Amino acid sequence: MSLYGSAVKRPIMTTLCFVAVVILGLFSLAKLPIDLYPDIDTNTIMVITMYPGASSEDIEQNVTKPLENTLNAVEHLKHITSKSRENTSVITLEFEYGYDIDVLTNDVRDKLDMVESSLPDDCENPIIFKFSTDMIPICLLSVEAKESMPGLYKILDEGLVNPLARVDGVGSVSISGAPKREIHIYCDPNRLEAYGLTVEQISSVIQAENRNVPGGAFDIGSNTYALRVEGEFDSSDQIADLPVGSYGGKVVYLRDVARVDDSLEERTQETYINGEAGAIIIIQKQSGANSVQISDKVMKMLPRLQKNLPSDVKVGVVVDTSDNIRNTIASLEETVLYALLFVMIVVFLFLGRWRATMIIIITIPVSLIASFIYLFATGNTLNIVSLSALSISIGMVVDDAIVVLENVTTHIERGADPKQAAVHGTNEVAISVIASTLTLIAVFFPLTLVTGMTGVLFRQLGWMVTIMMIISTTCALSLTPMLCSQWLRLVRHHGKLYNRLYLPIERVLDRFDDGYANLLRRVVSHRTLTVIICLGIFVGSVFLMRFVGTEFFPTQDNARIGVNLELPIGARVETAREVTCRLDSLWRKKYPEIKVMTYTVGPASSDNTFASLSDNGAHIISMNISLTDPGDRKRGIKEIADGMRSDLDREFPEYKKAQVNVGGGRGMGMGGQSTIDFEIYGYDFTETDSVARQLQAILRGIPGTADITISRSDYQPEYQVDFDREKLSMYGLNLQTAAMYLRNRINGAISSQFREDGEEYDIKVMYDPAHRTTLEDIENIIIYSPSGAGIKVKDLGKVVERFTPPTIERKDRERLVTVSTVVDGAPMSEVVAEAEMKIDEMHLPAGITVGLAGSYEDQQDSFGDLLLLGALIIILVYIVMAAQFESLTYPGIIMTSLLFAFSGVFLILWLTGHTLNVMSMIGAIMLIGIVVKNGIVLIDYISLNRERGMSIRRAVIDGGRSRLRPVVMTTLTTILGMVPMAVGSGQGSEMWRPMGVAVIGGLTFSTILTLLFVPVLYCSFAGRGVKRTRRKLRASNTEFKNPDTAL
Amino acid sequence: MKSILITYDQAHHEAIIELLDRSGCRGFTGFGTVQGRGSSKGEPHYGTHAWPSLASAIITIVTDDHVDALLDRLKALDEAKPLLGLRAFVWNIERSI
Repeated sequence: MSLYGSAVKRPIMTTLCFVAVVILGLFSLAKLPIDLYPDIDTNTIMVITMYPGASSEDIEQNVTKPLENTLNAVEHLKHITSKSRENTSVITLEFEYGYDIDVLTNDVRDKLDMVESSLPDDCENPIIFKFSTDMIPICLLSVEAKESMPGLYKILDEGLVNPLARVDGVGSVSISGAPKREIHIYCDPNRLEAYGLTVEQISSVIQAENRNVPGGAFDIGSNTYALRVEGEFDSSDQIADLPVGSYGGKVVYLRDVARVDDSLEERTQETYINGEAGAIIIIQKQSGANSVQISDKVMKMLPRLQKNLPSDVKVGVVVDTSDNIRNTIASLEETVLYALLFVMIVVFLFLGRWRATMIIIITIPVSLIASFIYLFATGNTLNIVSLSALSISIGMVVDDAIVVLENVTTHIERGADPKQAAVHGTNEVAISVIASTLTLIAVFFPLTLVTGMTGVLFRQLGWMVTIMMIISTTCALSLTPMLCSQWLRLVRHHGKLYNRLYLPIERVLDRFDDGYANLLRRVVSHRTLTVIICLGIFVGSVFLMRFVGTEFFPTQDNARIGVNLELPIGARVETAREVTCRLDSLWRKKYPEIKVMTYTVGPASSDNTFASLSDNGAHIISMNISLTDPGDRKRGIKEIADGMRSDLDREFPEYKKAQVNVGGGRGMGMGGQSTIDFEIYGYDFTETDSVARQLQAILRGIPGTADITISRSDYQPEYQVDFDREKLSMYGLNLQTAAMYLRNRINGAISSQFREDGEEYDIKVMYDPAHRTTLEDIENIIIYSPSGAGIKVKDLGKVVERFTPPTIERKDRERLVTVSTVVDGAPMSEVVAEAEMKIDEMHLPAGITVGLAGSYEDQQDSFGDLLLLGALIIILVYIVMAAQFESLTYPGIIMTSLLFAFSGVFLILWLTGHTLNVMSMIGAIMLIGIVVKNGIVLIDYISLNRERGMSIRRAVIDGGRSRLRPVVMTTLTTILGMVPMAVGSGQGSEMWRPMGVAVIGGLTFSTILTLLFVPVLYCSFAGRGVKRTRRKLRASNTEFKNPDTAL
Repeated sequence: MKSILITYDQAHHEAIIELLDRSGCRGFTGFGTVQGRGSSKGEPHYGTHAWPSLASAIITIVTDDHVDALLDRLKALDEAKPLLGLRAFVWNIERSI
């Protein structure tokens, strides 16, 4: 027995089956974590190789090149970029999306094993490092302190960092801005010289004295005792009293040659929160963990942890990325609910009966909730993509149920018993319902096959909609007929309320039908004119395309701005602090939208993983700004960023480089402002540098560019000591020993660890800061030969100022410099077009090429993918329709409505000022399926009328008239389902607005034109068909009459 | 003995079986779904794309005294639902085993 037959026969079973699905769906929903995007697997692997003492050019030649040449053979590699700086080579391998990163890592490891033997001897083994979006911190906590400031590191480490790091899913917790305790032994070089002591001697004395040594066990009588010598310092004061040598028969104490400074690390990162010094705690998640869940746990723990901290230590939240996720998801959920409401109103207006409306509406929650089971089963999250899928589907899942209900109602009105009507009514439309679902699946299923980053995003959309469509069709063929058989009754007389409320609507709808029929009659009589006008409109809209700019992803207002500032190389931390302090107070006054503003100056210590991965140094300042919610402020994030850029330009010439990044980071693909990278390939530094500077100047002159930066930094000035090897050997010294003498005096020698309360602090012996401020100080450093003779550095060599070459960047095994610009205020396509024109005019030196990358490259890739996908979908949809109609002409006629859909998309994008981006293109692709549905309904009924014996003209007009309502109704449900998406103003709405706008524009425009153009084309083609048949008939008749002529 | 051929829109099927029961006619032979159209009006029942509805037919052999009551009931049913077709034809049974 058929599905609908048994469903009608067994209402309890049918109901409970769907109840079970809903319960499972709700269960899954409760368990579903939320996130911003579907899981995007890492596609980057870094290979870091250390080669101590090598210059950047050595590194490039001896380490980076051989590694690159071997790694280039790894499969699915998209780009290989490298940075060769002093001592280190960092190679980044970027793979195509969608491949298992673990397998790729193994491949990389195999290749590294092959090449390892050909690397220089002193070179350390390459380290593989997987980088992912997970490395971006999910929470930044601010810590303000007063009295506890000196001991803050320890307090935070014990009271905050360790408990937080134990939270399930937290990857690493690091502190920045709270310096660690360190005990410095500041030596006076003059006194050392006077007593004939060295830093090394003092260091080894401290090392030898600060010890606990077990002396073994011995027996006294019947007992065994342990023997120990406990010499470890109990307090740092004891160090000062250490005897470090003797001079003239007297003991020299440490205090005679040095002072003990029990304080904090010398060079550290300082952090300011809203202008006040404090510390920042950075929480990163483990790979694959859910940000919202972790942040929930962290937030729950904070009040408890705060209680255990000293009363002056205040912990606050600077950035909680989960806030943005939660708000975005909440506003999307609201969108879904509004869509549901709108669809309900439309259905009720057209059907006029609440029972029928309920039957239709019930399919929405059932199909939507069922899709949660899929999300849960595949370990996905509730994110922008899956929720947009829900919003898109709401208008479409009701279509099948409407068709079924309409036919069942016809049967009931004819007098059939509701049960019989439900079975037979469904039976009659089952095939066409399945066929129309197939056309939609033909559109959405291929979305699951897209590769690249867009593929990662839209795979879920494809699956979700496909699943919802299948469920809704199943629902329409089982639950809907069952409910019809139970709830629908033949109503001959309507109540008073119905008459008063619904009759006027009915009258309007009738008049609408009549009006359309009249228009259709006129249009069919003037076929050529109609075709010319419609095609004219299409061609006109294609010209509009030139005015619609393109970009990759719309910029999202996530209320975060990141600012990277750079003073000229070599600037002291104090200068950075002073200038940035001014900037900080100016901005906080000028932009009241700023909620929290933090900035960090100074070099990162090595144990701060997050900070040490990013660029840092005394001259580099990084800022993190959180704005208030987008709904609560008038200025958008772009506007604020623009203001900040012009402030930096006009009032802060001190900064050599300044980047204002909307969304926190630059070039993160989605959400942030688009960037265009101009890559200048060429070997020669001076030539590429000059091209880069020219290009920077050119870009400055193009409207729509901002924050133009050149990736290569300047030559770094430094002092080098050139030892004379001959002199060194004369004194029995070698270069390494001499260099170590320098290092121990300036950087310091870590001699031992001071233990207190289970914590260890470094004891560092070095020159007093006052004795390492001039070149003479360096030149006067005394190096002792093995024979004990002291020789000054200036006698062994020369101290010279030199410039070291900057980091050497390479991409795809060629040296390059990147000039990158943020696109702001103009569509990316225009900026690129103008820049390309200007670059063509430039006279590039031989061997130098300029290429485009950044968001522009991603956009080109994605657009290519999507266009291919569009073509594939059109072919699939054509196949499904041709199979359904058993005709090659009808699908062709229906396909013409696509032209108008695309016209509509361009038109509305142009009118609303949106750009053509990945989101609006996805909207256009969805249109392929939605738009042809209208054509199918129309053509199907017209050809049915023809089969029933009507003339072409009558079949068209009658068919058009009777199908107007279903077409308008399904179109309106889809359009109104999208309206909340298109006009939403919640957080993250910038992302999906272009998609909603594109669907609405395309669908409205194409429905109006389809309702006129398709019948006209049908008339022409069917007329020609009839003529051809007649001609054939006539030919065979004459043949029959004159058999001789036929021979 | 008379034979009655009842042809009807398949939506009538359950009503017809019930009607036979009520009229005390136990035996019948059903033909499942059949195609056909009325002589003067009504939609054709072809089960095709253009005319999707289908008809059913039943033949029942009854004693002469049952015929009138059955036909009256069928007529009443037909008149109650004029848009669903229902026809009945009666003829003689010459012999049976």
